[in-house]
Amino acid sequence: MHNILIIAKREYLERVRTRSFVIMTLFIPLLMFGLTAVPTMLANRRSDETKRMVVVAGDRDTAEMIRSRIEQKQEQEKSAGKSGLKLRQKRSLPPTNFTVEISTNAADSERAALTAQVKDKKLDAFLWATPDAIKAGKLDFVTNDVSSFIDNGFLGIAVNDALRRSALKSKGLKDEDIEASLQSVEVAPQSPLGKNAPNPQMMFIATLGMVMVMYVTVLLYGVNVMRSILEEKTSRIMEVMLSTASAKDLMAGKILGVGAVGLTQVGIWALTAGIFSSSALVASADLIKGVLSVKLLLYFGVFFLLGYVLYSTLCAAVGSMVNSEQEAQQMQFLVMMPMILSVIFIVNIFQHPSSTIAIFGSLFPFTAPLVMFSRIAIQPETPVWQIAASIALMIATIYGMVVLCGRIYRVGILMYGKKPNLPEIMKWIKYA
Amino acid sequence: MQTIELSNVRKSYDQFVAVNNLSFSISQGAVFGLLGPNGAGKTSTIRMMIGITAPDSGQINLFGKPFERKSLNKVGYLPEERGLYKKMKIIEQLIFLGELHGMTAGNARQQAVNWCKRLEIDAWLQKKVEELSKGMQQKIQFIAALLHDPDFIIMDEPFFGLDPVNATLLKDVMLDLKKQGKTILFSTHRMDQVEKLCDSICLINKGNAVLQGDLKTIKSGYGKCNVQIEYEGNGDFLEKNPLVSAYNNYGNYVEVRLAPGADAQQLLHMVAERSRINKFELMEPSLEEIFINTVGKTNA
Repeated sequence: MHNILIIAKREYLERVRTRSFVIMTLFIPLLMFGLTAVPTMLANRRSDETKRMVVVAGDRDTAEMIRSRIEQKQEQEKSAGKSGLKLRQKRSLPPTNFTVEISTNAADSERAALTAQVKDKKLDAFLWATPDAIKAGKLDFVTNDVSSFIDNGFLGIAVNDALRRSALKSKGLKDEDIEASLQSVEVAPQSPLGKNAPNPQMMFIATLGMVMVMYVTVLLYGVNVMRSILEEKTSRIMEVMLSTASAKDLMAGKILGVGAVGLTQVGIWALTAGIFSSSALVASADLIKGVLSVKLLLYFGVFFLLGYVLYSTLCAAVGSMVNSEQEAQQMQFLVMMPMILSVIFIVNIFQHPSSTIAIFGSLFPFTAPLVMFSRIAIQPETPVWQIAASIALMIATIYGMVVLCGRIYRVGILMYGKKPNLPEIMKWIKYA
Repeated sequence: MQTIELSNVRKSYDQFVAVNNLSFSISQGAVFGLLGPNGAGKTSTIRMMIGITAPDSGQINLFGKPFERKSLNKVGYLPEERGLYKKMKIIEQLIFLGELHGMTAGNARQQAVNWCKRLEIDAWLQKKVEELSKGMQQKIQFIAALLHDPDFIIMDEPFFGLDPVNATLLKDVMLDLKKQGKTILFSTHRMDQVEKLCDSICLINKGNAVLQGDLKTIKSGYGKCNVQIEYEGNGDFLEKNPLVSAYNNYGNYVEVRLAPGADAQQLLHMVAERSRINKFELMEPSLEEIFINTVGKTNA
């Protein structure tokens, strides 16, 4: 045990000090920051600027209606941004603030004149909403920012709304009837657990995020174990180490040390994520409420650790078998295959967390870390016996793999030269 | 007391027998040479001594007890395949290896600094291994084997790749260790070094011990039947001479093995008749000659 700790300590300190660890640890939170905070900041800056547009319609009423709908929609957006309504109504990038002027001059010369103005940047945009255009179902919006899809989408909604209102109005409906008939509703998915259940979309995003973190770190640190064993083998320090520590201690120390590095990294990420969600995204605090429960984080820890130990044990065996980085890469793909397969099926499992394939995947030890965790996150009512069985099967498999891989490791680290074939590996396992 | 005792040890890998029924022991304070050509089973034997592999059969006693891992804290091992963590600083590396041998970090640091001073490499303590020359790395490896003050030191080809100055430095260290009563095992195929340092030897070939015992006894058993001659002039006395059973011409001098029962004086007269003699010396055979002879015989 003493030796295991010394080996783990060395492994940990050496790794945490490397440049790549520092960069990775900082890069991911920076990326998160970039993806969340920067657009908001940019958007806040943009919302101050106002652009001028002209709406050209066949008659004054239509033009007025379009203008009022655009202005009202803009008002809604602004207040939504401030009061922090539901996230899905809040855009990460609010549309440009337009001051709208109206015109009823639908002559070709007017269009040419407006086009020239937009071209010379004297005017930012104009909308050609003449009766002909409306009949044809296609209004030209002439602007220098043709690719501004947020503005375009937003305008589309406002203008359609305006035209529907004018049409209803022309049929003689009263304003309140029009309002009532155009009232839109939201379809809100709800878990049978009631109103306190977390927001399903946030749940999906958070689970996917956690699954990806688990996948990447297990893969990354499993491969790290393999490479570090390979390095010890090729630098021939193995023999020095073996003169004082047993092969078992070496393998255990390595897995422990590298795993601790992985936990440190994930811990730092979780911490930054925590700080972020409590400060930068206060507006959406309601949304994440109930998504990241302590229970779920605990399950994350359990499945991450079990997955890591299982895969790094396999990787240790592979690292001891091979003699070069190239050989290692071929083998590592085979070892990691179940992990990759789980990720491919993960969205399917999110959609149908109780399907046969999901249940099988969550019990099969090599896919269980990702699949079982996803099921628990997405479907809180996952049967407890299945969770228990999944964990028990994984622990049993880990035990078997430690014995098996330990034997391969013990022989493999002293073997140089050609890559062993399957019968040879079987022989290694049988050695006393 | 016997530091290590092997009795009837056997190790095979599949069909290949690496060590076959090998028995020898090294008494405390002795310098022992484990000799043999490449592939004779030297490294396999050492690996079993320190528990890296287990023998198929036979018994190994270390410090008078059946092998147990905790005895390894009193063993220092310099493997033939040298290796260190390339990215680690020298001092950290030595502390790490010291801790694995049961030292405290502080004690390991102190010893590491002392040894580095003694081997004139203390200026490099804070450098990474990859910045060091081969010879320097060799010294660090040497220190790593001795740091924890082991009672039994195993050195596999210790002088390999060292220049004469450093080789002398290491040789002096080892003589010093011998004085302190440490048991030292050399494994090598370089006979000249063994001859200078060892008290006793075991010569193995193809996994079998072919010659073992006290070095002086072994050599005297061969008798003074060798003559080294430095001469100027005609060397044809070497050919078809009933007094000469074999010879080895080194250019500057020639080593002659006398035929059984031949008289060295007779040879001296014969050579003196034909050439000027600068030196004529009766000698015990060199270990190298014994080695070549014995191994040649067992291979035949």
